[in-house]
Amino acid sequence: MIDFLLKETADENLIVLFNGDLDIDSTEVVEEELLPAIENYKLVNINFENVPFVDSSGMGLLLTIVQSLKAKGVKVTISQVNEDVQFIFEMLQIPEILGEDTFI
Amino acid sequence: MYKDSATFIHQNSHDPTVLDKTLKREIKLARNIQLQLLNGKTPVFEGGEVSGSSIPARLIGGDYFDFYPLVNGKIRIVVGDVMGKGIPAAMLMILTRGAFRSAAETTKSPADTLKSMNQALYDDLRTLKSFVTLICADWDPKTYELTYANAGHTLPLYIKGKEKVVEELPRVKGIMVGGLPNQVYHNQTVHLDKQDIIFFYTDGIIEAQNNSSEQYKLHRLIAALLENKQNSVSEIEKNILASIEDFTEGAPQRDDITMVLLKIGEQEAEISSLNSPVMK
Repeated sequence: MIDFLLKETADENLIVLFNGDLDIDSTEVVEEELLPAIENYKLVNINFENVPFVDSSGMGLLLTIVQSLKAKGVKVTISQVNEDVQFIFEMLQIPEILGEDTFI
Repeated sequence: MYKDSATFIHQNSHDPTVLDKTLKREIKLARNIQLQLLNGKTPVFEGGEVSGSSIPARLIGGDYFDFYPLVNGKIRIVVGDVMGKGIPAAMLMILTRGAFRSAAETTKSPADTLKSMNQALYDDLRTLKSFVTLICADWDPKTYELTYANAGHTLPLYIKGKEKVVEELPRVKGIMVGGLPNQVYHNQTVHLDKQDIIFFYTDGIIEAQNNSSEQYKLHRLIAALLENKQNSVSEIEKNILASIEDFTEGAPQRDDITMVLLKIGEQEAEISSLNSPVMK
């Protein structure tokens, strides 16, 4: 299950530090806690350094986060994805769905 | 249900044990529906054999496989994995099955089938914040050609009958169904030989975990396939499941496990007497 830390940067953007597996048990954390807390920033970076595993529900949650923030005018970037998770992202062509510039 | 002032609710329906019993009964019925739809008829054809099985991680699951005999003698195979688990995934699996069955009837190739399924399902899947990965393939017993298209699914394994080699089928890209609208998919074709096996599967197999949180991984699957490649499809299926069960030591699984096997026979099918596949 995912846990997260929020860090505001000097220029009032936000860094989300994910910690743990992004999986089906993360649904409530993401939808009820994370999304309301981050939707009022202009730029949100989601750091995946401490995410060892993403299942298909987690992939769906990631799509929901990025697409619902984009719909509210928030620019989202994703960084430091580990090799195993990146392999699944590539297989599902997540960069093409979310836009290549989402991954930095 | 129609209710008016004369309607009253029987006291027992507030009793948690009654609600629990009702819920359990409904899940059991839903599970039966799903198992019967998944374990339907398997096509029987000259020059080869197919088989499929699916084990949900929970009582009910979101994996899907199906066979569809085409009038030109080919067999269309599909394997899919609906995002999520349990009852929500199972509901979307039924939706996916309906889309496949109607697309298979009217489309000429696996790529066209996936395109048609994405068109049919995209709006619903976006509304429901879900998606389905699918691989669709046509086996032609006359030409020994397997043509396939992919929508974000794990590539099937190709076990060569006459060599000790297991490799992934050549990569073909395609976005998962429900990922982006108006997608065009591409067909890839391989020529198979006698005794070759194609192993379609969902990632629940290689991600199956034991009590030490180690995963079954691809290398164990490949070893088990090589060990069993001389067997019939139903024996291979049974032995692969046994190998996964041995490894996981009864640990509860996070994802559904599904596999479909196509094995090309030793005997060549006689073209003059080649009949369309029959569902048995």
